[in-house]
Amino acid sequence: MKRLWLFASLLLVAALLLAACQPAAPAATEEPAAPAATDVPAAPAATDVPAAPVATDVPAPEEFIFGMLLVGPYNDHGYSQAHYEGGLYVEENLPGAKMIYIDKVNSADRPGTTPAQLAEDLLSKGAKLIIFNSDDMKDAAVEFAQAHPDVPTIHASGDSSWKDGVNYVEMPLFGNSFGRMEYGKMIAGCAAALTTKTGQVGYLGPLINDETRRLASSAYLGAKYCYENYAGKSAADLKFKVTWIGFWFNIPGFTSDPTQVADDFLNSGYDVVISGIDTTEGLVQAGKAKAAGKDAWAVPYDYVAACEESKDVCLGVPYFNWGPVYLKQAQAVKDGTFASYFEWLAPDWTDINNVDTSPVGFQKGAALSAEAATSLDAFIAELAGGLNLWTGPLNLQDGTAYLADGEVATDVQVWYLPQLLEGMEGQSVSAQ
Amino acid sequence: MNVELVHIHKSFGAVHANNDISISIKSGVIQGILGENGAGKSTLMKVLSGFIQADSGDILLDGKAVHIGTPSDAIKHGIGMLHQDPLDFPPMKIVDNMLIGHDGGLFPNRREVSKSLKELQAQFGFNLDPEAYVDGLTVGERQQLEILRLLWLGAQILILDEPTTGISASQKAKLFETLKKLAEQGMVIIFVSHKLEDVEGLCHKIAVFRQGSLVGEAAPPYNTDNLVEMMFGKVISLDEKTRLENCEPAVEVTNLSIEDNRIQIRNANLTVNCGEVIGLAGMEGSGQRQFLRTLAGLMRPVGGDLRLGGKRLTGKPYHSFQDAGISYVPASRMEEGLIPGLSITEHFILSEGQSGFFIDREKAVTISRERINTFNIKGEPVTRVEALSGGNQQRALLAMLRTPLRLLLLEHPTRGLDIESSIWIWSQLKDRCRQKTCIVFISADLEEVLHYSDRILVFYNGKVSQPLDAAATTVDQLGQLIGGKGF
Amino acid sequence: MLNKSSAGFKFGFQILAIVAALIFTTVVMLLAKAPPLEAYKLIFTGSVGSIGKISDVIVAWIPLLLATSGLLLTFAAGLWNIGIEGQITLGAIFTTWALRLLQDTSMSPTLIILIGFLAGILGGMIWASLTGLLKIYGGVNEIFGGLGLNFVATALTIWLIFGPWKRPGVGSMSGTVPFDNLLWLPQVEGLRMSWWSLGIGLIGIAIVYLILQGTYFGLRLKAVGKNGRAAFVIGIPTGKYMMSAFFICGAFAGLAGATQVLAVYHRLIPAISSGYGFLGLMVAMLINYQALWAAPVALFFAALNIGSIQLPIVLKLDSTLSGVLQGALVLFVLMMDGVRRRLTAKKVK
Repeated sequence: MKRLWLFASLLLVAALLLAACQPAAPAATEEPAAPAATDVPAAPAATDVPAAPVATDVPAPEEFIFGMLLVGPYNDHGYSQAHYEGGLYVEENLPGAKMIYIDKVNSADRPGTTPAQLAEDLLSKGAKLIIFNSDDMKDAAVEFAQAHPDVPTIHASGDSSWKDGVNYVEMPLFGNSFGRMEYGKMIAGCAAALTTKTGQVGYLGPLINDETRRLASSAYLGAKYCYENYAGKSAADLKFKVTWIGFWFNIPGFTSDPTQVADDFLNSGYDVVISGIDTTEGLVQAGKAKAAGKDAWAVPYDYVAACEESKDVCLGVPYFNWGPVYLKQAQAVKDGTFASYFEWLAPDWTDINNVDTSPVGFQKGAALSAEAATSLDAFIAELAGGLNLWTGPLNLQDGTAYLADGEVATDVQVWYLPQLLEGMEGQSVSAQ
Repeated sequence: MNVELVHIHKSFGAVHANNDISISIKSGVIQGILGENGAGKSTLMKVLSGFIQADSGDILLDGKAVHIGTPSDAIKHGIGMLHQDPLDFPPMKIVDNMLIGHDGGLFPNRREVSKSLKELQAQFGFNLDPEAYVDGLTVGERQQLEILRLLWLGAQILILDEPTTGISASQKAKLFETLKKLAEQGMVIIFVSHKLEDVEGLCHKIAVFRQGSLVGEAAPPYNTDNLVEMMFGKVISLDEKTRLENCEPAVEVTNLSIEDNRIQIRNANLTVNCGEVIGLAGMEGSGQRQFLRTLAGLMRPVGGDLRLGGKRLTGKPYHSFQDAGISYVPASRMEEGLIPGLSITEHFILSEGQSGFFIDREKAVTISRERINTFNIKGEPVTRVEALSGGNQQRALLAMLRTPLRLLLLEHPTRGLDIESSIWIWSQLKDRCRQKTCIVFISADLEEVLHYSDRILVFYNGKVSQPLDAAATTVDQLGQLIGGKGF
Repeated sequence: MLNKSSAGFKFGFQILAIVAALIFTTVVMLLAKAPPLEAYKLIFTGSVGSIGKISDVIVAWIPLLLATSGLLLTFAAGLWNIGIEGQITLGAIFTTWALRLLQDTSMSPTLIILIGFLAGILGGMIWASLTGLLKIYGGVNEIFGGLGLNFVATALTIWLIFGPWKRPGVGSMSGTVPFDNLLWLPQVEGLRMSWWSLGIGLIGIAIVYLILQGTYFGLRLKAVGKNGRAAFVIGIPTGKYMMSAFFICGAFAGLAGATQVLAVYHRLIPAISSGYGFLGLMVAMLINYQALWAAPVALFFAALNIGSIQLPIVLKLDSTLSGVLQGALVLFVLMMDGVRRRLTAKKVK
């Protein structure tokens, strides 16, 4: 009986803890855009239409609901928030559009559910378009789309609808969108190379897969190019090391501690840390090192405002801008023109930070010197002008030829990069 | 002070523990209260000392009716009771023990207490160190302490409930001397016992109880046969024992050595013939329990041999002992014997061997009803055992025993039971003996040991006496052995 | 007469407990500035509002019911098998293992699924037996042993998913590569539930009910649980029976894990147990260890879990609210039971 009570009181404590966590969630309703969107679909639309006061009978725009499944919290200052804000952008720009979403869609946060099942919940709430935002939902997205061939479905970051890809599955209304973050990473690498005093750049990698390999390699390509062409040094003197922590964020006991990894970089001569993970340990630790009097800089990832956490060491952040991507597809669904597609979208080179046009951007940070900024702009201009760093000769890390001299990598070659590139330190494939 | 109890009635459920008892005791008298266990002696004394309330009747002190609602009321009126299990507080110093129950204000004067304790001791020739701890005292010494405490609290009437159980002969002599001295000072001494020789040797007057009633009073010179007849309602002859002759030894214990963290038993020897009853006597914690549990297979001996019908059981697991026909009935019925939450029927199912995978409930209930009848258990087949009274629990335990058994081991088979149950249970046990089952039992009740055993082993601090022939042993001899004399 | 009135008394207290739990949850919601009625309505329609929803509830119900079934046996033996989470996990790991080994052979899918179930049962039993051995021979309380083994099981899962069993080139939180549709437990057309797993769940609880109500084994288990010392003296090998309880509970847990793999996720995922073990402990406590009530109460809990998914979609509320309600229910039922006991005890006096 005693034990029973012990257990019961544990339950109570757990219940109270959960309850204590509650107030965080409803904050969502206080987000400026959300309340307008949730309740009266006609109202915000009216304010959006400038002609309303003049025109006598503007028909209320038809409600268009789209659903989004976010792998992390909607306010994670990272990958998921970038999607969430993309959704808000659609609400603002597509008359009648209303987003419904479920965040924290992963087996740890929502035990007993599958993303496909949650997608059906969104569907039953009237969603006309379902967006799966994470690579982790690849199977579920396909499973859902196959069970609902009549429902437009987008899987961000996936390759299932890419005819040239290795995972192609034929589905009528299934699309894959992803930004070419390779460019963002190249710019990040360039900023790092232009800043480093020791000639050593550390890359804080998540887990090892196709995507993360090509992004780390892109950062390296950008760094190497700028080190030679703008800093005027020999690329052979640039050390570029990737340390994988094992996942997108820290899971104590399972992943390496990113804080530790960042510190190791900063304490062994690496003065710039580029982050490939969803959280900001690299930036934070660089800030601490700088406060301790060291030379230290960092480049975070994913979210446009990521630099905020430690401005004085932030060289800038490559980020996703999902708004225009989703707006286009939502419009297509609304117009009835949505069809299976695969898109891998480059930045809008006229202005990579244009909210309305560029799916990938790079926001310069306060710690970037004016001189470096000038060089970085020049580099961006070169990219815009057609510079392709994925051009041979390039070897893979183990020395095997990847691209012959002058050979330009195809999208398939880049997407499925099998190893890191020659000249990079770090594991190419995870140890068995 | 004169004490009068007038028309006292007290019932516990269906049991009429005190049925219209009236008794009057004059100042300076040692009054004996004699009767079997469960005759109602203790109940009456508890009424007088405020532990329980009579259903009706009056208590007069020097002719004045008083109300005694609690023990502290009693002590205010000068009535002090010395319990069978001394009610002291073991991990304490003697002097602190004295202070308990004393209205000494918030800050008792320990030095003064020490002083008066010494004076009292000198008066009776006791020798207790006020700074000693109570748990280091012998039972006799605790008794002395309790008497001192009650006197110091101002007791004029001293009640002693079975005070000679568990004390040595010399302590007993000293106790009697003290009581006589107190009576000479004009105190009333009420001496409760079921031991004839004690009351005969000490008391000025004897009142005999049987089954809740006061059946008679006697004055010296006492006629023992008369007293016995009053106690039991008939002339008891100890030759009722049925002994099976021509029966080969069933249990053989050779050089058995047992050890646990409390006690060591070395080289115990015993041979039990079939149908024989062996009583194990001794003060609680003298090793008899360990010995019995070793015979049951619940403890492993560290040396020696244990055989049942020639088959060696030493070192075998408990279930081998059970399979060999040994059963053990523990004293703590609800802790070790029965399973609270399960019904009588379920207990019978558990004690029976398994037949098949599924339980035949109907059959089980039928069997259960039969046994409930046979063993006269006041309960239904579905009654949970915790709802049964102590006597009925004991009956249920006996009803669970398998037949045939070669060796039946019992711990305090009648403790806490009324006299009727006790007698009935022994009749059942004797039936078992006639079916050649050997019985080994522990009891703190010397009469029970003497009355029902064929032979007796006395335990003292891990030492085991030679088997005594019960017929040729007196309570006094047994008491001396229990107190450690003669080893 | 007395019996009847005390039964009514008991029932009344249970109602009171449920009301108290609802009030508690409502207060929590009000504190979180959420509309309680709307929330309850959403949970209700979200769980039984459509055939699809009902089917999802059943999908969640089965592993929960299996876990509860197993726990009823360990509870009967007086054991707190907190380690059930790990046992479910190991069941899932073993099932995945078996399927991985056999999926490329020519063996018939039906047979592979069957072997998958058996492997799951084996995995759960092995893990449960570790807790049992630690308890019976190592003197380690089963709560601590179980908790430790739960951690080990989780670590093992994650290691497998990101290590030896990772998807080609990719380690992913979404788990191992999904199995071929042929290796899925056949589902009802258009729904996620499977008649087969439903059958397994119902047969499971029926077996436990029979064991506890009608067999020598069940009665002895209860004896061990209610009074181990007396049971031993009566002649029941208590260690053996405790071990058996662990084994059988492990088998049920493993079966739950196998169901998660074969009928729900079709792969190994990091949180494969879905917390059904802990939830099962709550169900078992709530029903006062009476097997008869396991199925309906587990169904209710499953419905709460599924229904509460509506909360974040519509009200932007955290769906852990259903956990608050579940926890509050258990707590208040236990508390009211305690109060009732005290009251009746006084009455008898």
